[in-house]
Amino acid sequence: MSADVHALLGAYVLDAVDDLERAAFDRHLRECPACQADVDELREASARLAGDAWSVPPPALRDNVMKAIAGARQVSPATAGKRRPPARLRLVSAAAAVVVAAGGAVYAVQEMRVRAEHTRVTSLETLLAAPDLTVHDEPVTGGGTVTVAVSKLRDAAVITLNADTAPADGHVYQLWTIRAATPVPEGTLTAGEKATVRIVNGIGNASDVGVSIEPPGGSATPTMPLAAAVHL
Amino acid sequence: MADPAISRLHTSDTPNDLLKAVARGDEKAFGKLYDLIAPRVHGLIRRVLRDPAQAEEVTQEVLVEVWRTAARFDPARGSATAWICTIAHRRAVDRVRAEQAAADRLEFVGRAAVDTPYDEVADEVSGRLERQQVRRCLHDLTELQRQAVTLAYYQGHTYPQVAALLGAPLPTVKTRMRDGLIRLRDCMALAS
Repeated sequence: MSADVHALLGAYVLDAVDDLERAAFDRHLRECPACQADVDELREASARLAGDAWSVPPPALRDNVMKAIAGARQVSPATAGKRRPPARLRLVSAAAAVVVAAGGAVYAVQEMRVRAEHTRVTSLETLLAAPDLTVHDEPVTGGGTVTVAVSKLRDAAVITLNADTAPADGHVYQLWTIRAATPVPEGTLTAGEKATVRIVNGIGNASDVGVSIEPPGGSATPTMPLAAAVHL
Repeated sequence: MADPAISRLHTSDTPNDLLKAVARGDEKAFGKLYDLIAPRVHGLIRRVLRDPAQAEEVTQEVLVEVWRTAARFDPARGSATAWICTIAHRRAVDRVRAEQAAADRLEFVGRAAVDTPYDEVADEVSGRLERQQVRRCLHDLTELQRQAVTLAYYQGHTYPQVAALLGAPLPTVKTRMRDGLIRLRDCMALAS
């Protein structure tokens, strides 16, 4: 997987990766100082591209910024030395909701640039920073991708569904894990929804993740054929 | 020249030194830094977002973040300008992905030229020189390298979106992005 991840170097520098890939690449960088040097050099080059987009902002913006910084707290040099975590995780587009299952409760986080929800998102960060994280991708029938990042160590997985279209006729996507050949429901989207991120705590012995198309509200067993299947 | 106060004044006017002063809470240095980098930050964000009001909002967020996190800047790893542009680009891309469903965006981009000339560019010498150099170096790239790099950087596309737009395989696009940046780096290094 390491070679795979490294191929993302250019895309990573250009911010052309999604959040899962970025997390994977950040992990890769922590183990590869030479790669970090490559990133720094190419960032220097990509930043020069901003020189082609020169535009003086309105004068009022300067006043606003100067007002905003006056007295605004700064990070201290002491904490700045620590590596930033793969912070400000933005796992999904605004269209999607981040759904984090924690201790049995399910919290829906509608806002993507979540500040208040930081503590909940932390569990996602912890998971994505797991040293044994493996990432699996499969296409969704009708276009799009489902990505499953699994950590046995954390006994958890994050399922990211990013379909191009929502199911027709008011049908919905439903997520499943397959455990000992038995499908276990892992969440149902609402009609019109085509993207989601779910954390599955206790991924345990699950062998597969499936996405099916179901009537509104979901079903007790998945309707075949599946829209996507990911073997773990 | 002989006056140490004057030479100190000059050396402290580079973005690197200003940013270091900002990390120590120097608001005056931040004002100077603002004047040096705001057009670049705003220009980049506007180019990615296209919406002037949103671009202003994100520019302000980015500049305040620069103030807040200046202590994280590590000169051993690169220039202050690159550090600031990295923050700006990431924020702009996050915003663009948050605001627009992929489908709308693809359609929108399909209609927009890759190299839309920018209408409100300040006619400043430094900006003009910089632009000339960037464009010259971009022309050094192969067609596919240039498209891959600019679609990602100026329009905030992910590499799968770029692959779809260009009708090219994913591994090819990843390679072109990396090779394009390497070539860009070499060209910029020669020029400066």
